[in-house]
Amino acid sequence: MSEYVIIGASAAGLSCCEAIREKDKKGKITIISDEKEMLYSRCLLTYLIGDKIGRDGLKFKADDFYKKHNIDAMHGVKAVMLDIKKKTVKLDNGKAVEFDKLLIATGATPKKVGIEGEGLKGVFSLRSIADAEGIISMVNDCDTAAILGGGLIGLRDAYALRLRGKKVKVVVKSSQILSQMLDKDAADIIEEKLTKEGIEVIKGLAAKKIKGKGKVAAVELEDGSEIECQMVIIGKGVSTNLNFAKEAGIKVETGIVADEYMQTSAKDVYTAGDVAEALDITTGLHRNNSVWPVAVEQGHCAGHNMAGNKTPYEGSCMMNATDFFGLPVVSIGITKPKGTGYEELTVKNSKEKVYKKIVLKDNIIRGIILLTEIANAGVYGILLKKRIDISPIKDRLLDDNFDYAKILHIVKERADKFGKAEFKETTITL
Amino acid sequence: MPKKNKDVKIFCDITKCVACRTCELACATEHSVSKDVYKLLKEDEQPKRRVRVSATPNESISIHCQHCKDAPCVAACMSGAMHKDEKSSATMHDKEKCVGCWMCVMACPFGAIVRDVKNRIAVKCDLCPDRDDYACVAACPTKALFAGTEEDFKKTLKEKRAKKR
Repeated sequence: MSEYVIIGASAAGLSCCEAIREKDKKGKITIISDEKEMLYSRCLLTYLIGDKIGRDGLKFKADDFYKKHNIDAMHGVKAVMLDIKKKTVKLDNGKAVEFDKLLIATGATPKKVGIEGEGLKGVFSLRSIADAEGIISMVNDCDTAAILGGGLIGLRDAYALRLRGKKVKVVVKSSQILSQMLDKDAADIIEEKLTKEGIEVIKGLAAKKIKGKGKVAAVELEDGSEIECQMVIIGKGVSTNLNFAKEAGIKVETGIVADEYMQTSAKDVYTAGDVAEALDITTGLHRNNSVWPVAVEQGHCAGHNMAGNKTPYEGSCMMNATDFFGLPVVSIGITKPKGTGYEELTVKNSKEKVYKKIVLKDNIIRGIILLTEIANAGVYGILLKKRIDISPIKDRLLDDNFDYAKILHIVKERADKFGKAEFKETTITL
Repeated sequence: MPKKNKDVKIFCDITKCVACRTCELACATEHSVSKDVYKLLKEDEQPKRRVRVSATPNESISIHCQHCKDAPCVAACMSGAMHKDEKSSATMHDKEKCVGCWMCVMACPFGAIVRDVKNRIAVKCDLCPDRDDYACVAACPTKALFAGTEEDFKKTLKEKRAKKR
């Protein structure tokens, strides 16, 4: 009987457990998490802060998940040392667990800004329930919040606090918001919406220090100006939690390097989720695509391989979807191409807040942005993922009525790429 | 066809679909409060159809949720709203858990998930839980739509074609 140990109990870890159980009903699964709270979705924390959901709404798995999958769950316990030769993991409670197959899904930690005053009361970043509860506990005493960073997490924080009726000011060093996710055209349309809804966006300036006696009173910017505020949330991205793997001698770069089966440089040790650096299909290189759907896919793939069902990882790409005040946006792959050979197709209607952009190289879709009209995002997405030559439909790609029907013949002709039963079933009568 | 059979979904015979959009109307009606095509016009909220007919110059198809085995929408869902039904293996959506993040819309390769803009939740084919058959299939005037497993569908096509000869 195999013994599986999973470190990390979020998207990747739980998805891995499910995949193992698809193939191996009997093996012993132990899951270890340093967080006390279980089965909750990190991505929903801003919804909790925004009072859109209650604490129960954070759960993304049923309460009996561990019991149903016969998983031994150890929450509030940290895995501190890995011995890849003896195949043991030491825990901070003095105990140790043995494994035949191990998954390292240790995730990531919010980056610090590295400025004075970061330790003051009222300065937060958002990753865990504890962080969210800290923010919520101070909401009533807060009139104005400053958000440092205009990335997705920063803006989700801003949105949540605005829904709570707070004054919100977002400080962005870059000349646009969401610079990892969108191009400037799309970002500017969203910024306009945020501004209209009462969120102030300050671009091109970084915070120099956070001021206050014991607790936050203001943020001083590079140009000497000050934002008076009672709360600061830092949304400067995350860094991967690598040390556990690195100290065990496992190959790491910006993340834990995964091979095509999500296995690390150590045999029988796998990785998935935000900490993993795996194949990126848009670049062909290895990178961390730290988003929920990718974590789930990687965990699933790792789980199958751990249970002995050899399954190559298809690769991922950066992708995100969200909504600000009813303005939906989807971004997939490379949206701001650098280098030569790229072609961009765009449709823009600022008044209606409609923006669509497709980035092509060699007539293969490399990136997509859809604003407002996001229906069929996944149809573009599958063309990107399968690296399909879109020449036959290029002039129709951005038509209002573009959808799956327009790619039926491609799906049929490229059965090598569209191998899954569901694709074949749509073209039986074509 | 008994309801809740495993792996049942809706198939479209493209050779028979004439893009009349009757399935869309039937779907919307089935998902209204009154389930009556006239009365629903007076309801507070207009119901959303979960199927969509799309035509190209050469053919038309009624696009449905494929209830994928490894469903990308389920993998992408960060709230647990999108899930596989254990008994039927259908891909189901729990609107109470949905936060309207649109990850599922991003993930669905068929474009079969739509937004309920007013309620900010995703909407998709639920295989008509309130009736024994399927509204779109029952309404299809050319019998292009079919509910069953892939095997059932292929068998039916074979029989139909044999009859034609």
